[in-house]
Parts: sequence; C-alpha cells; structure tokens
Amino acid sequence: MSASANVEVNIKDCANADPEKLAVFEQHVAEGGLVEPNDWMPEAYRTLMLRMAEHHANSEIVGALPEGEWITRAPSLLRKLALTAKVQDEVGHGQMLYEVAQDLGKTRNAMLRDLITGVTKYHNCFNYPCPTWGDICMIAWLIDGAAILNQGTLAHGSFGPYIRTMRRINMEEAFHFKHGEDMVLTLMSGTDKQKQLAQDAFDRWWDPSLAFFGPNDRPDERERPAMRWRMKTATNNELRQKFVNRFAPAAMATGLVINVCKKDASGMVISKEPDPLLKLNEETGNWDFTQPDWDEFFRVIRGDGPCNKDRLALRRFSYEQGEWVRRAILDGATTAPSDH
Amino acid sequence: MLSKARSNLPNATGDLSTDEVAAFPNWTVFTQKKEGAIHLHAGSLGAPNADFAQMFAREHYGQDQPCSSLWIGPREIFTANDGVQETYEVFVQWVAGGRHEHVGVVEAENGADAKTKCVGQFIGDKEYHTIWSAPNSILTKIESATNMIWRKTTDQNYRLAKGYSRVVRQKWDAIRAGAAVDKYQEEDLKDTF
Ligand SMILES: [Fe+2]
Ligand SMILES: [Fe+2]
Repeated sequence: MSASANVEVNIKDCANADPEKLAVFEQHVAEGGLVEPNDWMPEAYRTLMLRMAEHHANSEIVGALPEGEWITRAPSLLRKLALTAKVQDEVGHGQMLYEVAQDLGKTRNAMLRDLITGVTKYHNCFNYPCPTWGDICMIAWLIDGAAILNQGTLAHGSFGPYIRTMRRINMEEAFHFKHGEDMVLTLMSGTDKQKQLAQDAFDRWWDPSLAFFGPNDRPDERERPAMRWRMKTATNNELRQKFVNRFAPAAMATGLVINVCKKDASGMVISKEPDPLLKLNEETGNWDFTQPDWDEFFRVIRGDGPCNKDRLALRRFSYEQGEWVRRAILDGATTAPSDH
Repeated sequence: MLSKARSNLPNATGDLSTDEVAAFPNWTVFTQKKEGAIHLHAGSLGAPNADFAQMFAREHYGQDQPCSSLWIGPREIFTANDGVQETYEVFVQWVAGGRHEHVGVVEAENGADAKTKCVGQFIGDKEYHTIWSAPNSILTKIESATNMIWRKTTDQNYRLAKGYSRVVRQKWDAIRAGAAVDKYQEEDLKDTF
C-alpha cells in the first residue's frame, strides 16, 4: 500500500530561500536532476518531502493492521504464508520510509507518537472495515494495484532516498498485487458463494480505490510545489483514470459488477445499483465512471470513519505495550509494564 | 481467533502513557544478490546493537529476493573521515539518485585517506557523486555459503510476484474460455429452441 502525496506546504516557506540557489535548484530538478540529503534544497522542499515520506510510512504500518488480523484465519497454508509475507513487507516499507523521513529532520519516535495522537495522518482507505476474507483479496488486488500505479510515478521523483525506496517497495508490491489477483480469480472461478463473497467485498472497496488517489485536481495542480519540484509526477485525476481503465474491464471480465453503493456508518453496503456512467468512451478512449462519494471521503479523513478509532487504538496498544521491550533491548533494563 | 486484547482494546486517546526510550542507532546495509555480483547499497535500519542489526538486516534486506551476502555497519563509519590505518572497503555513488556500489578495497590511514585512494585506484577522472568507505574491522559480513540468508531450503515462490504468473494466467484463460462457452451455449439455445 502507499500514500498519495496530498500533503500541502506553503510556498511562502520559500521566501527565505536564497533566490540564486533556488533558481539553480529548480532548474536542476526541472531538467530531471536528482536531490540527495546533503545537497542544498529549499526549506519548503525538505518540509514537503518529509511530510510525504512520513505520511507514506504511517500508511504502510496502519495498512498492515487489518491484514494482520486475518493471518490466523487465512483459508490455506499457502495463503497464510503469503499474507504473513505481505504484512512483513508492509511494515518493512514503513521502516524504510521512516528512515527517509528521519534523515530530513524528524525523529522516528516523534513520528510514531504523532501518528498515534492524531497529529499526523495515514492513508484514508484504511479507515474502512475488512469483515471477510474477500476484503483481504480486494485490498491486495485493488489497493495494492492502485499503490503500484501511484508509486510507479513516485519512483520518477526528484529525491534520491525516496525514489530508491520506491523501487524496492514496488518490487514487493508486485508480489502483493499478483497474489491479490490470484485470490480474486480463485474466488471468481469458484462456487456461487465464493463469487458472492468477492462481489460484496468488491462493492466495499471500489469506492475507496477510486478515492485512493486523492481529491480531484485543482486548476493549478502542476504549478504547486509537489509537482513543480517533481515529488509527484502525475496528478490524482490522471492516476485515477489510469486505474479505472485498467481495473474496470478486468473486474468485469471476471464477472464482477461495478456498483455505486450507499454505505452505513460502519462502512457496510446498504444499497447499490450498477454504475450508470460506466462505459468505454470511444472519443477519449477512457472509461467513464461515477466519482467516489467525496463528502464521505472528507468526513472520514476528518476522523469520523468506520474504523479510524480502532486502527489508532490498536497502534497505541502495541506501542505502549512494546515500550518495555524496546527499553530492555536498548539498555538491558527488563521491567515489565505492570512493575513500573 | 483474535486475541482478547485485540478485540477488546482500551479506548484511550490523547497523550501517550509511556515515555519513549532513546532512539536506536542507524545501520547501513549492503547486499549482494548473486555470488560474484557487486555489493550494492540496500538501505538502512534502526537497531539497538550490532546483533540486532544483523538479525534485522537478514529479515528485511535478505528475504525480498535471493541474497548471497550482507554487509552491515554503523551508519556513521561510511562517511567518517577519521579512523586508523587498516583495510577499507570503498563504495561509489556514480550519480545522484543512484545506489552506492562496492568498487574494491584500499589500505589507508583513515576514512579521508581511503576516499582519496578510492579516487586514485578506482575512479580516476570519471565523474562521480559521493564516496563511502568502511573499515573492514567494523563491518560485519554475512556470507550465505556458510550462513544461510535467503531460505532456499524451502520454496519461497509464495513471496515473489513471479511465483504467481503461471497460475494467474491459467485462471484468466479458464475464466475467458468459460465465458466464451457460456456465450456459445446461449446462441446454441436460442437457435435450437
Ligand atoms: Fe503492498
Ligand atoms: Fe506497501
């Protein structure tokens, strides 16, 4: 999984930057040049890159939480091995991205604590429930599939440590995605009950997958720092369209129906109808589709989603309960939490 | 089954109840993916000491694909210019954005000398971005010939994308063939009845 880079930074932060250095920097980046941590960079670049890597890292470790819950309930040994490896990979992605962010000036502890106390955010799609094995299949196929599209473009960014990390991450995302595709195909070539399980989960995950790429583009998207400095190389809408072009026909080929759904407060579907706009537009060559529910998207981002509280409570629980272990391995003190 | 603790989490919010321990030191890891290949910078990690760093490196940088050798050292030694007379491994990042790659060893007085010697012996007048050096006595080297890294004694294909290519292909073919047969039968029925 990954984050999309919808982290804002005020361009005014550049006001203090030496204009000559800034001009050289911007030209270097515009010509495809790469930036390493010890190179000169505007403060705003550092801040934005840090927030992007931190948000991405947060998303990786929170994304592993709902999947981790399903390891013990995987339907076969092969699936259990693969899901365990995927969760290990995702937490590993978090570890590498925290390293990138740390080098830009914020300690790992501060980042882990800010995530739990709500100072920083993680990717919105992990605020939705994962009630069945079908959801595990759809997350791996759709969300990891979306992540590959997004991270594929991030790997052409300008910050050396981040793009090196993207390349390594993308190789593992390819495994997550292929495994997801295998699981979806297994369900869709199975019994009616398996197909129903897949369709129900697909209904829950189609909308979050569309919203995965972030809100619709603003008119000046390409002038904003994230794109001007090549931290992002594709806009949210471009990525979303690419996703639909790839996944809508594939989903339909397996027999899945793309629905527009209404959900209750717990994220479960209460009514649905086939997407009335869905069709291949002969003129544009793109698939037309119904936009995700953006009101709901912003409500969930503000904290009022089906699983926001559960995810953070679990993260807080393991962080607080693990503190004595970290202390013990660091300085040999072995007081368990109940004793102090 | 989910553990009780997980299904019944305390509903705390606000400040954390624990102070955090000091930050773990950082370690730099190089991997060699095939015997005879060059060691490439894989990334870094945080770990409290060399033993933990090695275990962590094995799991994190040694299991994503086959790996024949891991080199691990405290991060600061690679950029340090001080140090004593000994053998240094030297690494060159040819362009910004690239990974440091191992180019050879030099006998040097200290880190700065190792980097200068690296230029003399391995770079010449070629362009490069940065050089790292690491004293051999501080670097930990794990070789899979004597100390298995990638777990090749059991099939690891389940954790690689290529492990699924064939089966995914077969399932797509079956689904498409199934749809074609359905379509065919539909026509069939229409014509017959
Ligand atoms: Fe993933
Ligand atoms: Fe990931």
